[in-house]
Formats: sequence, C-alpha cells, structure tokens
Amino acid sequence: MTDQELNELDENLFSVRKSIDLTMENSRFFRSEGNLISLELTKEDGEIETFERIVPVRAFPLSDPDEFISIREPESKEKGKGAEIGFIRRLSDFDADTVALLNEELDRRYFIPEIKKINSLKEKFGYCYFEAETSAGKVSFVMSNPMSNIRILEDDSVLMTDIDGNCFSIHDPLKIDKASYKKIEIYL
Amino acid sequence: MKLLFDLPEKDQATFDASVAEDEKVMYCLPYNFEGEKRVNGFVVVTDKFIYKLLDGELLFKYDIYSLSEFSTEVQYGICGFYAKKDGISTLLCLFISGRNLPRYAVVATGCDLIVKHGKKEPLTSNEPERFCPKCNRPFVAHTKICPFCQDKKEIYKKLWGMTKGLRLMMLFPLLTAIIAMIFRFVVPAVQRIAIDKYILAENGKDHITEFFVIVAAIITFDLISRAINVIQGRLAAISGNRFMRMLRALLFEKIENLSMSSIQKKSTGDLMGRINNDVSVVQNFITNLLPTYVAQAFSFILALILLLWLNPFMCLFVFIPLPFAIFFITKFWSMMNKRNVHGWILAHRTNIYLQDNLNGIRVVKAFGKEEQAIDDFEKYAEAQAQKEESNAKLFDTVFPFVGFTIRLGSYFILLYGNLMLFGGHMNVGELSQFTSYSGIIYEPLMQITAIPRNISAFITSFSKILEILEEEPDVADIEMPIDIRIEGDINIKNVTFGYDSYNPVLENINLEVKKGEFVGIVGHSGCGKTTLINLIMRLYDVTEGAIEIDDVNIKDISQNALRSQIGVVLQETHLFSGSIRDNIRYSKPLASNEEVIEAARTANAHDFIMKLPQGYNTIVGEKGLSLSGGERQRIAIARAVIHNPKILILDEATAALDTETEKLIQDALNNLSVGRTTFAIAHRLSTLRNADKLLVLNRGKVVEYGTHAELLDKKGFYYKLVMAQRMAELAKQD
Repeated sequence: MTDQELNELDENLFSVRKSIDLTMENSRFFRSEGNLISLELTKEDGEIETFERIVPVRAFPLSDPDEFISIREPESKEKGKGAEIGFIRRLSDFDADTVALLNEELDRRYFIPEIKKINSLKEKFGYCYFEAETSAGKVSFVMSNPMSNIRILEDDSVLMTDIDGNCFSIHDPLKIDKASYKKIEIYL
Repeated sequence: MKLLFDLPEKDQATFDASVAEDEKVMYCLPYNFEGEKRVNGFVVVTDKFIYKLLDGELLFKYDIYSLSEFSTEVQYGICGFYAKKDGISTLLCLFISGRNLPRYAVVATGCDLIVKHGKKEPLTSNEPERFCPKCNRPFVAHTKICPFCQDKKEIYKKLWGMTKGLRLMMLFPLLTAIIAMIFRFVVPAVQRIAIDKYILAENGKDHITEFFVIVAAIITFDLISRAINVIQGRLAAISGNRFMRMLRALLFEKIENLSMSSIQKKSTGDLMGRINNDVSVVQNFITNLLPTYVAQAFSFILALILLLWLNPFMCLFVFIPLPFAIFFITKFWSMMNKRNVHGWILAHRTNIYLQDNLNGIRVVKAFGKEEQAIDDFEKYAEAQAQKEESNAKLFDTVFPFVGFTIRLGSYFILLYGNLMLFGGHMNVGELSQFTSYSGIIYEPLMQITAIPRNISAFITSFSKILEILEEEPDVADIEMPIDIRIEGDINIKNVTFGYDSYNPVLENINLEVKKGEFVGIVGHSGCGKTTLINLIMRLYDVTEGAIEIDDVNIKDISQNALRSQIGVVLQETHLFSGSIRDNIRYSKPLASNEEVIEAARTANAHDFIMKLPQGYNTIVGEKGLSLSGGERQRIAIARAVIHNPKILILDEATAALDTETEKLIQDALNNLSVGRTTFAIAHRLSTLRNADKLLVLNRGKVVEYGTHAELLDKKGFYYKLVMAQRMAELAKQD
C-alpha cells in the first residue's frame, strides 16, 4: 500500500467538510464549460475555493421546492457520496440570473409532471396500467400496488409513483375532471 | 439485461454514415429527455467513439478516450449519464424512467474499462430483466412471467403432464358432475309424464298405482342424483388434496435444492406465498372450478338443445332478456367489486394504523399523544364503517333484483305458455318441463363474470409454480462428484468473483492455507470478506480461478460431502424450534448424549444449559425459551463442531456480544479451532489475536497477509485499522 493511499484512507475516515451558509456575498455560481454549474466560494478566512461542478439538492422537494437547497459536490465512484459544500436558505435571496441557472439544473434533477387528465386506468394481473395527459404530454405508465404508490401529501396534493420510480403529481385532486377523479378515488 | 438496443432506421442510417468500418459497437441504449421534452434518442458506444443520435440527427460524436469518470446520477424522476470530457464535467444524456438506470450503470463501468484498460469485450449483466422483452409490460413480481405473452397452451400441456397418476381420480368429479346433471334433466321429463298422463288426465284415478310408481321414480332419481353429489364431493376432496400435497412437496423439494444465489433473489414471503397460496389457487381451480365450469357448459348446451326440440319459438323468449340480464349482472358485479376493493383498502388502512400505533405505543405515551392517536383512529374506523355500511346497503338492495332480471325470461314463457295452453296448442306437462329447463339455462349466468378472473388467477399462480420447478440450479454437482474425506489444506488460486460480471467483488485472490491453520479475515465492510467464505463453502461458483481443498477443485466434490465437513457459525444464529439437544445435533441427528455434552463443553455452553430447569431438553426457537445472543451463539458453535468438521468458518460470530460473553466464546473458539482449518471474520480485531495468519482485504483485493506481529511491524493498512479501532474504544471509555 502506498503512502498516498494511506493518506486517502485517513481522509475518508477522519475529515468532514464544514457546511457554509451560501449567500450572494460569498458565492458566485456560473455556467461551467461543460454547460453545468460551477461555484466560486469565498470562505470565512478569505480563501477562494472553486468547484468545477456542483449539484443542487432540495431538502423539501415536495413541500418547499424553492427553500433549503443543499449545494453539493457530485457523487463519484472514487469518493462516494458528494459532500455538502453549503446551503441556500431561499432561492429568492439570489439574483435572477443565478436563480435561472440553478433552476435549469434543478429541472434536470427533479421531474414531476402534473397530471391533467386520466384517460384510462386498467387493472390487469396485479398491475395498474394508466394512460394520462400530463404537463409533459401524453404518457402511459404502469404502477404496482397503488395503495402505497398513490399518496396524499401534507398540502392535499397527490403524488403517484410508477414502477420505474417516475413521479406524477395532481396538484388539487378535487379540481381535476370528475371522470379522472373517480378512477383514483378509491386509493385516496 | 439488454445493453445493445436496435436503432430505428433513421438513426441507423445516420450512424452508418459516420461510423468507421473497423469500429466495434459495444453498447446502444435509449434516452428520452432533451431540452425539457420527451424524445426518443439513442446513445451508442463503440470502442472508439460515443455517439448521441436523435431522430436521424447526430447530436455529438466524442472520442471516447477524451472522456473519463463515467457516472450515472439520479435524483427524482429523472436520471443523467455524465462523464468528464478533457477534465470538464459534461452531461451526455438524460433519461426519464429508472427502468434504464441499471443499464446505464453497467455501461458507465463498461466505458471506464474501455478507456482505462482498453477492454474491447462488451460487458454483460446477469441482472434479471423485470419487463417482458416482447410487450414491455412488467413481469409478475419476482418472476419472469409475462401474463400477456406467455403461451397458454404450453401451460395446459405442462399441467396435463403433472397430473400423471391422478388423472383417473380427477376425471371422476367431472364425470359425476355430468351424471348428476343428466339426472336433473330426467326429473322434469318424468314430472311431465306424471302431470299429463295422471294428474290432469280424465281417467287419472284409474291409474293410481302407476302414478305412485312415477312419484317413486322421481324420488329415486332425486336421491340418486344427491348420492352422486356426495360421491363427487368426496372424490374432489381426495384428488384435490392429493394433488395439492404432491405439488407442495415438489415445490419444497425444489426450493431446498436451489442454490443460495437464486434463493437470495427471492424473498421468504414470496416463496411461502407460492407454496401456500398459489398451490391452493391451482388446486381449487382444477378440482372445484374446472369440473363445475365443464358441467355447467354441458348442461347449458343440453338444456338449449332440449328447449329447441320442445318448442323452438318459445325458446326465443328465454334469450330475449339475456343480453340485458348479462349486461346488468356484469355492471352490478364490477360496481360491487370496485366498492369492495375500496372497503378493503380502508380496512387495510385501519389495520396499518393500528399496527403502527400499537408497535409504537411507548413513544405515544412518552410524548403524551394518546388523545391525538384516539382521534386519528376514530377517523380511520369511521371511514371504514361508512364505506362498509354503504356497500352492504347497496348490495342488499340491488342483489334481489339481479335474480329477477335473469328470470325475466321465465315470466315471458309463463305468459306465452299459458296463452298456448288456453289455445290448446300445448299441455301443462310440456310447459312445466320447459320452465324447468329454462331455469337450468339461467343458473350458470350468475357466475359467468367470475370465469375470466378465475382463469387468469389460475394461470398466473400456476406459472409462478412452474417457474420454480423449471429453474436450473446454477451451482450444480458435476456428473460424477467425488466424495472425499477432507483433511483441510485449502488453496485459493487467482480467484475473481462478482455477483454481477461487471462488478467484481473479489479480484485475483491467491491464498494457501495449511491444514489446521487459523486465518483471520479483516477489512472494511463491503470489502468481500463474507463473499470469500461463501466461495469456500461453494454457495456460489467462482467467476475465474479455482478453489482447491486437498488439491481437489471444490467443483468436483459433491456439495453434500463438502458441506457436511464444514462447520459454520454465523452472526445471525438461527435456532430451529425444538430442544437444545436437537439443535446441537442438527448436523448429526444420531449423536449420542455424550457427544452432545462434549460439543456443548467445547462451546462453553454446558454450564448455562445446566442452569436451565429442563437442561438439554429445554425447548428453544420460535415457540420456546428466548435465550440471550451469547447463549444462542454458543449453541450454534456446539452445533458447528459436533460432526467434527475439518474446516470451520466463523462469520462475525462474536460481533453482537458484549466483551465478557465474547471472552467466553473466544475461549470456546480457541478450544475448537485446534486441529481444524479455521476462517474467522471479525469486526473487533482483538478477537483475532490468536490467529496464525491475518488476511487483510480492501476493495476485493488482498492488501496484506501475515501474522499479527508482522503486520503491526509493517505499519500498513492493518496497523491503521487497529489504531483506528483503539482510538474509537478509548473514546468510548471516556
């Protein structure tokens, strides 16, 4: 075993990065050369650290998507789960350009189309086959065990998860048309 | 798992135009998200380039050697395939649907191998497909059965083959059902004679004796038909239960003989479900439903023929209300079904709440949340009660009328028949016979809607059973396996192994262990320790290389001989329901009491067993006395040594114990490793002080091998591990 490997082991065992509150003052997000996001972070001691790529992660993706966003290093096979660099309290604390940049990346990571209409729901051989119109176009998907995969969230919206882990939401189930509502009513 | 998809024509043309002749296509995967829209594109990896194609357009063509650190990322509802291009992070493609995530994970590894090691052979993945390749619909959970595409004829053929020896017995219920049916047709015919010839005939009184004969005949027919029913029921019970027992035994035998790797892919609950529920479903279908359906179809056709023969015109009246009645019944049952499912869901929710709450009742009380819990429960119970009440009301209101609609035809018949009667075109006996037969025709209709559901339930259950019965074991004995008496020399040569071929857990392991040596295996969790001993036990076959015991490849030794000479103590000790004595002599059922006590002494278990009022006869396991972890562990050790194995395997045998118990067990282990080749995995390194050799693994590779003292002197990986653990222990003491 080389010294370098041993040092790496030390780092993995004992070092933890300290998370910082990110604000307009100490952090500058900009588009990276690879069309992703880079971050230039000014630490408390004035030292500047640059991250070639950062990844935004929502703490409350369903209830408060625009608050408490963790900015992390990307995961990699070598280092495992990316560590947290810092936290954004509210997206709106940042200027419009930054918000747009971060939202663009968030949209690449969170995809929950809104269901507008359920055209058909058939149960066959233990799976539910849906055909629906969503904000992302017509979709057909398969769900196993609708009892646990259709759930009502705290704000009364409905979240549906299909067999592949894709998510669909119905913002206000009472406002959706009656025929669609009747199809999923028994699971609510 | 499929890693090479076919390109659609347009994309294929574009790809052909830009690919060089000597390029080898390695992988081709679909992606379906681009610029906030769903699309149908493909990513193609060759040994030189990566292409991204969309609707016949080439979006990029990157030199694969300019890329590195391929990775997949998933957050929520959407996944990405990333890499570094000339050191800069780049997004290669996005795909919705976790369905393709495992494929991209394999391809990411594959791309890394091309770039780093120039590996030109495409990786394959053993991971089972979860979706039907033909129709893309999911397989039945935990199986490879597509209920839409499977060949139903094939299934019936296999079922036929399986009923060998029971066929005659299974034919009986069918025959008797038909005979009983025929009697039901005879009785109205006789009744007709009785009515026409005697009851209504002018000189009926003169034939009083014949009349009594007829009545007696009717009674006899009825009695015979009931007797046949009794026989049918009894035969069905016999053949049904025999068939079920045979199928269960067959299944259990097969499951017990499956290799560990295929058993681990299935859950205990799923296997139990197949042995219990699925077998019952199949049995019920074959012995109860099928004969009923056949007999009913038979009686329907027979009744129809008779009705046509009696009076073709009046027969029309039977069928006029039929479409309406069938429509009504179908609607009614589908509505009731939906409502019942809803009621069931609500009941299930109440149950879940109860279970959740009662399991956590200490927390509820500790936080003083009883009031809220009561309110919550009220809500669930209320919703359930309301639904069930409304279901019952609806059922009791509508159901009586369901019968009415079906019989609507008989009212027409009665009306028309009476008109005919008055006109003198028909006599009373004929009318009575006609009405009786029309009643027979209506009978099967009540159940008609359940037939497709029952058939599909049967097919699903039966294919699940077949799937297990037809599974090929992946760790199998060779044709003429050797039964050797193991001495205990173990030689591991260049062993590489991975549960999936693209992800080796152990790489190039070489190890020579002399008989009687005690080898400790250490390393971080996930470094392959348990995998290594699983290979020595041959729960899995090595991917490359060989493991030899006394210079014989373990693949050539019969699995029975091999395992009966290996003793195993695992971290999770499972004691079977039964006495301590039975548990200790599990691997040697004929062991004498002396041997049992001897083994218990070696395992330091004798003393605590003697303190139990019932001694070695104490019942343990699910229904018995609950022993402490240390006590169970010592019984497990006694069980592992009673048959005097030459190889002993201890997998974290002392991890869950406190230090004092560990000391006892430690002594026990030292006793019994004498003269046996022993492999011990231990998290607490102090446990392995007495090991002859220590094998240090990291990420599936051997990093160090030597005695405790040698490795400490070396100040390498092992030294670091020991130091880290000592620091942690010191911190704990503070």
